[in-house]
Amino acid sequence: MLLAPVANSDMLDTTSTTTSTTTWQFGRSSGVLDRAAKPLEGLYACANSTSVARRNPEVVVFRSAFLQNISIDTMPLLTQSQADDEEYVLVASLDNARNLSNILKAITFKDHAIFSATPNGLKVTVEDSKCMQANAFIQAEIFQEFTIKEDLVGFQVNLTVLLDCLNIFGGSTVPGVSTALRMCYKGYGYPLTLFLEEGGVVTVCKINTQEPEEPIDFEFCSSNVTNKVILLSESLKEAFSELDMTSEVLQITMSPNQPYFRLSTFGNSGNAHYDYPKDSDMMELFKCTKTQTNRYKMSLLKPSTKALALSCKVSVRTDSRGFLSLQYLVRNDDGQICFVEYYCCPDEEVEEE
Amino acid sequence: MDCVVTGGNVKVLAKAIHSLSRIGEELYVEPQEDGLALRSVNSSRSAYACFLFAPLFFSRFTTPSGQTFRCKMAIKSVQAVFRSLASLEKTVEKCHIQLDEQKNRLTFTLHCKHGLLKTHNLSFQDSESLQAVFDKDSCANEFRSQPRLLVDTVIHFPQSVDEVTVSVNDERMWFRNHVEDEAEQARAMLTELCLASDEFDHFAVKSHGSITFCLKELRGLLVFAESTGLPITMYFDEPGSPVVLSVTDSVLEGNFVLATLSEDAGHRKNNSRGGRSPQPPPPPDDFMNDDMDSFIIAMDTSMAPGPSTSRPSTSRSDYSTCSKQSTAANHRTRHRSEEEEEEEEDNTDDLDRPPNKKFCSLFFGSVLPPSSQMTTQPVISQEVLASDSEDDPQDE
Amino acid sequence: MKFRGKIIDIACLNHFTRVITTISKLTKTCVLRLTPDNLFFVLSEKVANGGVSMWCELSEANFFDEYQMEGVSSEDNEICLEVTPENLSRALKTVQNAKSVKVKLTKKHCPCLTVAAELPTLSSSSRVVTHDVPVDVIPRRLWHEFKEPNMPDFDVSIYLPPLKTIKNVVDRMKNLSNFLVLEANLSGEMNLKIETDLVSVTTHFKDLGNPPWGEDASQAPSQSRDPEAMVQARVDIRKLQQFLMGQQVNPSKAMCNIVHERVVHLILLHEDVSLQYFIPAVA
Repeated sequence: MLLAPVANSDMLDTTSTTTSTTTWQFGRSSGVLDRAAKPLEGLYACANSTSVARRNPEVVVFRSAFLQNISIDTMPLLTQSQADDEEYVLVASLDNARNLSNILKAITFKDHAIFSATPNGLKVTVEDSKCMQANAFIQAEIFQEFTIKEDLVGFQVNLTVLLDCLNIFGGSTVPGVSTALRMCYKGYGYPLTLFLEEGGVVTVCKINTQEPEEPIDFEFCSSNVTNKVILLSESLKEAFSELDMTSEVLQITMSPNQPYFRLSTFGNSGNAHYDYPKDSDMMELFKCTKTQTNRYKMSLLKPSTKALALSCKVSVRTDSRGFLSLQYLVRNDDGQICFVEYYCCPDEEVEEE
Repeated sequence: MDCVVTGGNVKVLAKAIHSLSRIGEELYVEPQEDGLALRSVNSSRSAYACFLFAPLFFSRFTTPSGQTFRCKMAIKSVQAVFRSLASLEKTVEKCHIQLDEQKNRLTFTLHCKHGLLKTHNLSFQDSESLQAVFDKDSCANEFRSQPRLLVDTVIHFPQSVDEVTVSVNDERMWFRNHVEDEAEQARAMLTELCLASDEFDHFAVKSHGSITFCLKELRGLLVFAESTGLPITMYFDEPGSPVVLSVTDSVLEGNFVLATLSEDAGHRKNNSRGGRSPQPPPPPDDFMNDDMDSFIIAMDTSMAPGPSTSRPSTSRSDYSTCSKQSTAANHRTRHRSEEEEEEEEDNTDDLDRPPNKKFCSLFFGSVLPPSSQMTTQPVISQEVLASDSEDDPQDE
Repeated sequence: MKFRGKIIDIACLNHFTRVITTISKLTKTCVLRLTPDNLFFVLSEKVANGGVSMWCELSEANFFDEYQMEGVSSEDNEICLEVTPENLSRALKTVQNAKSVKVKLTKKHCPCLTVAAELPTLSSSSRVVTHDVPVDVIPRRLWHEFKEPNMPDFDVSIYLPPLKTIKNVVDRMKNLSNFLVLEANLSGEMNLKIETDLVSVTTHFKDLGNPPWGEDASQAPSQSRDPEAMVQARVDIRKLQQFLMGQQVNPSKAMCNIVHERVVHLILLHEDVSLQYFIPAVA
């Protein structure tokens, strides 16, 4: 399953090891959440509480639900009707559009974004130079309404445009003020339609869509993971904000022995190493089996700083080929948890090709 | 060299490096018997700054015995070591500076919270000693104040203002922005601020007068002085000889030495300020009794009667009277040229001088040809005490 | 020709500074007209040539504790100056904690508006800062160019929603398009619309209300107009954004008049300050 409640201390293992066919429809990966809920330990206990609201939809009246009515009553320009609503293959509503826009910000470094929706939720993919890929996962549970008529609905939109639309009212962070969102898609050839409402003001956006490209499969399998650490994002934020951008690469060393976890740059005026001891209280998990040193293009990794800034924890993994997987746990305004994942090829691999 | 800085002193060191970065692009590092000297000089060599951190500033301080070591490095790269200035105090517990002469590396190791270890191996170049010659104790005028006073003063001058003129008499000090050329002056906002002597901790004037220097370096020092809370002492003599701004406490000393505009330029400036007297400005009380008559703008009387302005005029004759200044813009131009004519008269005796000069490189004979003007100033008649790699090519 | 005003009240100083700062965001230079009772800031680019115009009116009594002026002559008791509002704003901003601030017309190296402030100190003596802001005195024969603009014969007049909301929307729309269609009707509805190859966005405001313009027939929208019918103007987003960006004063009333496909006329009222801004429509 692509998206299911996370409840497992090993949670950031998104790699597909199961034979779930649903998973493979997405090319690969999968799933942050393909494991059944284990007894909760530590880290992600809170993740489980996020679906409470959804379990009682009849009790809570969601603001976003009104958008359907508002669009009919007050917008003569819009010919939307109940009948139209039935034509949509995908309808997703949020009481707080920031819960979507924030996580999309974490992967905004190129305009083209591939949207893949399944009954489990929404996955948004952005790629750069065939060497780097970022995915944001928003589980169906995050939405107040998530109706999908097909197993898979895919399209491509301009992410920058989408973000401007989602933040049309300014994306206020003032408590109690939020933008309600209803996002609808009729299918191939139709625009992605957003109805947004804040303080009684309604905005309708129609964003042109394109046929989705096939995302690259990085074939990153957890069975091939050599080294893995989970850190509190706080400690990496500092390092990433200080990175020497005159260095072309960021070198990551992971080892069962010293220096355990090291970030290195090689810039114009010298080199710098940031060493994280394995017993640091910033280190949630340390599972390194073999000393591995890989270099990644700084220009490819720099955008991941956005995801880092939003996240509370990050899992850093490398596989036997030296591929890097960075998984970020992002908590939204309502305390719910979403995931962002970055894959990056090592620099050497690229040069060998 | 092997030294360790701990606790709040890490931030002091970092702030010093940041304020040196306002001066020049290179940091000159020289461990001495009496402490660690960090220096910088700007490219035109008109501004120089030095911090000397006494051995007691460090929790460990060892220098290579018997041999002298000096180096210079890109100040940006050292700044990068202390990039997160705001969080430095909270995150860094210890800073270790170590010289690896084999590898030509100066290593800064920051021991941070949660066991995070940041190691920066910075490459350096050998350098000669960088020393400016100045003798602040022989300066005629000396003023000491809390940094706040100068911060509150400088704040009135927008970032676009490059140079200020400081004038003193027995009771007061004036700050004004300096406007270089007359074309600029017609549109530039002029700001003047007056401080009474009792706002200073120490106010000793032996020679009345004005000096003009760059604001940028002063701002750099203020950042340091404000964060450390150290009073600033200003020493100066006369136009053309450097102004020295100092901060000191028991474990550190910082001196910023800035060139000042020499007399002729200062004089020219005063002329071009129109009504302003070259001597330290009008009595302080003018704020209290404005003389309304002085606000009359003389030019207004020269205006033709013109059409009644209450209705837009379209008559041909009106246009003809307006033909030379049909818009406000034209009008402005005309007015300015009148001003310029006045200026030219004032300045005719200056015509043989070169066009407006900037600050000379006062401290380093190597880049200054000897001139008669300079020999009148003992401070700069000293020998070359420093040279730059640019002047003295060293192929490495 | 003399002018001198003094502000002691901190709130007035603050307010005055905000007004000047608002104007500085709208234009690099403008004309300051001083009359015995009012100050006017005027920008009159030719609307026909695509320029914006502005008219801002302040009552001196609302800001100044002392206000003295003597115009060019007793029959033309006014002073007209070309000023750079940004310089004035900068000068005023640094003296927000002053004990008193004087603004006066002075003859320095050129005609200046001098902002002189007495700053508080810890010592017994006062600290005085003066900023000389160069101005140009505008001769009387050109004054007619700086008269209050006529109220356009608009098709629809409507109250604006909170400026902050419009600003947010316009800021985002600016990222997406260079032009925006502003439309409104007589039923209190207003829409902001953009359309590009990538996206179309429409923001709908309703229940805004239409100001009653009274008996003056020339200013009353045609009675025969269908209250639902939209009147629209396509404008350069940057000009609208500039107007919204500058707003430092929260107006008690904000209105918008539209002459169909000709001009957008924005009016802000706040106590004794009124600001009018004209943005020409583009095809």
